[in-house]
Amino acid sequence: MNEMDSIFELPDDLLATLIESFPCRDAQIRALATLLYPRAAPCRNLIIHGTEATGKTAITTGLLEALQSATDDGPPLKYAIVKSAECVTARHLFERTVGSVVDALEWEGTASVGRCETLAALTVELTRMLKENVEQEQENNSRRFVLVFDGIDRQREAPPTLLPALARLSEIIPNLTTVFILTTPTPSLLRVSSTPQLYFPPYTKTDFIAILSRPPYAPPPLPNTTPQETVDLWTRYAAAVHDALAKPASRSLPGLSRACAALWPRFTAPVAAGTHRAREFSKLLVAARAYFQDEGVLEPGIVLSGHSRDANTNGSVFAAASTTNGSNGHAPAKKGREETKATKDLATLLPPTARLLLVAAYLASHNAPRHDQTLFSTWHTGRRRRGGGGGGATGAIRASKRTKHRKIARKLLGPSAFVLERMVAIYAATRREWDSDGGEEGVVGVGVDGDVGMAISTLASLRLLVRVGGTGGGDTMDRGGKWRVGVGWEVIRGVGRSMGVEVEEWLIE
Amino acid sequence: MAVDEVLGDSFEEKQHQAAYVFDPLDEADGANRPAKRRKVSKAPNQQGAEEPDSWLTFQPLFGGSENEQCVRLRQQLFEKSWSQIDKRIQHILRKANESTLGDVASFLQATPDRASTDKIPSAFIITGPNLASQDLLFEQFSETLQIQVDAKVVRLRSGDASNLKAALKKIIHDVTARETDDENDQELAMGKDGRKYLNYDLEALYAHFKTKPRSHIIIAFQDSEAFESGLLSDLISLFSSWLNRIPFALLFGVATSVELFQARLLKSTCQCLYGDQFDVEQSSSIIEKIFKAAIAFSDAPLRLGSSLVNSLLERQRDQVSSIPVFVSSLKYAYMCHFYANPLTVFLSDDKKDDILQEEHFEAIRCLPSFRRYVETAIEKGEIEQARSLLDDNSQLREFLHDGIEGSRRWSLDILRKLKVLTVGGVLSTDFSEIYLDAISRGIDTDRIAEFTDSVKRLQPTDLTVFLNQVLDNLDNGDPSLGLDSWANENKDSHAFFTKALSTTKALQADAETKGNSLRSKYNGQTKVLRTTVIAQKVQLSHDTATLTREDSLYTELIDDLVRHLKETLHCDSAKDLCMNEIWLFDSKAPYKDVFIPRPRGVVERALSRPHDYLNCSCCETKGDQIVPGLPPVAILYQLYLETGSLINVADLWSAYYAIVGEENEEALEEQAALVLFYRGLAEMRAMGFVKQSRKKADHVAKLAWKGL
Repeated sequence: MNEMDSIFELPDDLLATLIESFPCRDAQIRALATLLYPRAAPCRNLIIHGTEATGKTAITTGLLEALQSATDDGPPLKYAIVKSAECVTARHLFERTVGSVVDALEWEGTASVGRCETLAALTVELTRMLKENVEQEQENNSRRFVLVFDGIDRQREAPPTLLPALARLSEIIPNLTTVFILTTPTPSLLRVSSTPQLYFPPYTKTDFIAILSRPPYAPPPLPNTTPQETVDLWTRYAAAVHDALAKPASRSLPGLSRACAALWPRFTAPVAAGTHRAREFSKLLVAARAYFQDEGVLEPGIVLSGHSRDANTNGSVFAAASTTNGSNGHAPAKKGREETKATKDLATLLPPTARLLLVAAYLASHNAPRHDQTLFSTWHTGRRRRGGGGGGATGAIRASKRTKHRKIARKLLGPSAFVLERMVAIYAATRREWDSDGGEEGVVGVGVDGDVGMAISTLASLRLLVRVGGTGGGDTMDRGGKWRVGVGWEVIRGVGRSMGVEVEEWLIE
Repeated sequence: MAVDEVLGDSFEEKQHQAAYVFDPLDEADGANRPAKRRKVSKAPNQQGAEEPDSWLTFQPLFGGSENEQCVRLRQQLFEKSWSQIDKRIQHILRKANESTLGDVASFLQATPDRASTDKIPSAFIITGPNLASQDLLFEQFSETLQIQVDAKVVRLRSGDASNLKAALKKIIHDVTARETDDENDQELAMGKDGRKYLNYDLEALYAHFKTKPRSHIIIAFQDSEAFESGLLSDLISLFSSWLNRIPFALLFGVATSVELFQARLLKSTCQCLYGDQFDVEQSSSIIEKIFKAAIAFSDAPLRLGSSLVNSLLERQRDQVSSIPVFVSSLKYAYMCHFYANPLTVFLSDDKKDDILQEEHFEAIRCLPSFRRYVETAIEKGEIEQARSLLDDNSQLREFLHDGIEGSRRWSLDILRKLKVLTVGGVLSTDFSEIYLDAISRGIDTDRIAEFTDSVKRLQPTDLTVFLNQVLDNLDNGDPSLGLDSWANENKDSHAFFTKALSTTKALQADAETKGNSLRSKYNGQTKVLRTTVIAQKVQLSHDTATLTREDSLYTELIDDLVRHLKETLHCDSAKDLCMNEIWLFDSKAPYKDVFIPRPRGVVERALSRPHDYLNCSCCETKGDQIVPGLPPVAILYQLYLETGSLINVADLWSAYYAIVGEENEEALEEQAALVLFYRGLAEMRAMGFVKQSRKKADHVAKLAWKGL
């Protein structure tokens, strides 16, 4: 029995505190400790995987810290964590690795720490430091060094050999454990056989509720209630939010906690107002039904006031919509609102020339070049023929023929690329007709001058006009370049109407 | 570089010619060209005239015979007057952003602890599409925030940051280098423990931050829309992962709207941000302020005419809405006037009569307004005076000084009258419009009638407000126009308005004690519409309601007021004044050529009518006729205009050869013609008219259409 202890033991009291601070993860914590603790069953490589916000990084960090600080009575363990999210290139990752190992070992040979450009250099550096370190402290052969690569699957500019090479480190360096934290491992990830894998499953509903009932998430007691009532209400409420929102839309803990926090004041407003009591959960639920049907609260808003305002209006819309037809009605309503907002902004924001150019760009993107002559030429009739109304009998026949093989309206399709010269030609052709002020000046006013170029580059810098392909091909003034319009039909219609132009008339289906 | 200098030098000599003819043979004697004379440095503090050549950039006029003192005086006048205006404009621009700056500063001060929220505080500044004026705004941001919230501001433009590494490099460099200036750069690359960091490693920033803690590190994205959205997302997620160590905050200059901007970011990125949006003052209201401070200002030495300013304002509205462009257009107008008009020396305050030349007086006698004056003098029979003005320079000089004085009086006068006209929004048009109208047409009877009509209809309470404001204007002037109080100079008006005000108040009080409301016969409700039905027909009749004694007294008062206004408000237009050419500038042409270039149009004209530029006999044509003497590229261009979108080069060659080839009298040999043809086609390609086509062999694609 005693002998067994010396070979395999776990620092149980350490684990207990860790399990206390990370609820619902005791199995993972124990497994991880087993695989890392020098007196348990330390392994060479370890893959920790699971979707985001399942506690992988937090638990690994917490456990390693606890194990390291407990080295007084146990075998020595040191660790370094490298976050791939902070590393811009592979070289950055290597240098960061060396740097954090230096920090962890309190290594003094600073002069040696320098460039580390390749995997080979990394191997050399690490071998030197870790092996020497081991040799210095020969007396204790059971010491370990844990190197954690957090989010290594998201590393930018990673060479294809990165992961297998890192997995070989522990073969070269004794007493090194390399931990890879990833989202999903592929079978041949490290190209070594039998790497232990530790899975962090997503939290279940009971897990969520257990976690949400704990201090950082649990709300302060409500007015008109006892603390116990608040706790009870919160638990049931969290379950309801989970069923309504988290299950279909967002499974992660931060999303759920955010949704809970966002809805809580509105949900409990009747309690605070005194119309319902905290025990009448079903009544409260019915009163707040509209909020639970709205997934808008899960969307992150980057503007504080704007977000709350949006959520409010959305809420009221859905309160109205939910009485009529449940969940089907609200998506278009909301979309429409957002787009009208954007449209209004754009139409008032842009100067007239830029607006004309934008509409011309839209027409160039959505009309086929072969129709240009019909649309814009004044050769035969002296006035332009427009697409929508007023087409003769032949036009109608052709239109009906065409609808046979093109079922989707052109404006619903993505924009196609056009040559800049064509857009400028459309601009020149339409400007005189559309611009009410420029009309009197006649031909002289239609010139394409520096100001038009400036407007084009303004649109390009706002990404309303997007350059397609050929990034090497000159600047915005190059008329041969290919472009595409960057805004959709709704916006263009608004911009057109702000100038008194129905863009629909100028589109040929 | 050397080539540039050579070109620059020859440009200087030839810049006043209609076209620059490039002649490579010039290079041969370029060796003994004079040393480069011009080194333009317009440092404003370089007032000392020790090295006159180094800053004298104006050219002598009168065909080069203007003496140097005059040239220098004109340039000094220009620099002095513009620097005053520029100071006022800068003041306005800086003031305009102040409230936004304050809001953002207080937003940043109020940010909760970053570690607790795990979100980056970010301010979205809705600037509108005038990207150019954002520079000043962000410059002010970096100044103010540095002091107010103990922040370090890094300004990023989309051009600086093409990829993640470059952006990080710039951020780290700016944070660490700016305050410690130069030598410490080396240190920064090395951490405190001698560790070297990559130049895009935020750890270097962290190491620096530990030695010099600040409460915010602010990254300002000046033109956020122009950044690639992937790059922005990368940067933001990187910042948020460092957020527990470095207190980042973000500023976004958003040209369209936050919603559109948000739609371009990843949702996971949006979760890292929280913020508020801030608006800046609308450019139209800033333009109005600049208009008052720069164009209409009472001290402005130069009046800009209405057609120029109108075209400036219109361009502002239609095209760019960018304030720096507006300001530089004004500066250019000033420069043009002082550069090209030798008579501007008379605008100088100190009378250096000795530097005047005979040419100056000749030039004055040629001025149209002077001629008109002399002609009217003769018509009036004041022949003596006319003769003395034409013959005697000293007489003319006296007259001239009077004229300049008069112009200053006139501009003061017209501004004061306009202040009265614009009081209380009686006329619906804004100040700039009324001002420009007054400059071009004067304050004529139509305008006055329009004004007095609306004054007549004012209610008594409105009238007291109106009179109060008029008196306030008289007493205090208008600092935004540089007007001082003119109550003392205009005692009659002042007394009249004061009296009218007190009478109105007294009458109002009297009427109230009697229970009536005071009105004049011009007020709408004094007319009563009566309907009478007589023999099943409706008759409408207007009836004047009876006026009480107070009412008729009030009506009299209004009549007096209107009469007074009619007497005092009349003002001549600028163009009626003698010698307005010296202080009035109203020419659109140089401005348009410089600020709204039409490169395409110029190239097309040069190719289709080379005679306009080359001015040689060989390429003189009538209409669009093609003659063999034209430069080959011009012939090719004519042929090019007739083609479709794909051009068969062999056809083009045979068409070209048919023009220049054997059938003509100055026939070219085939080889020579072919060489010229190739050269012409290469030139067309270099100018972007054709390019290789992949659709068909032996064809080139047509890229440019005429008239665009």
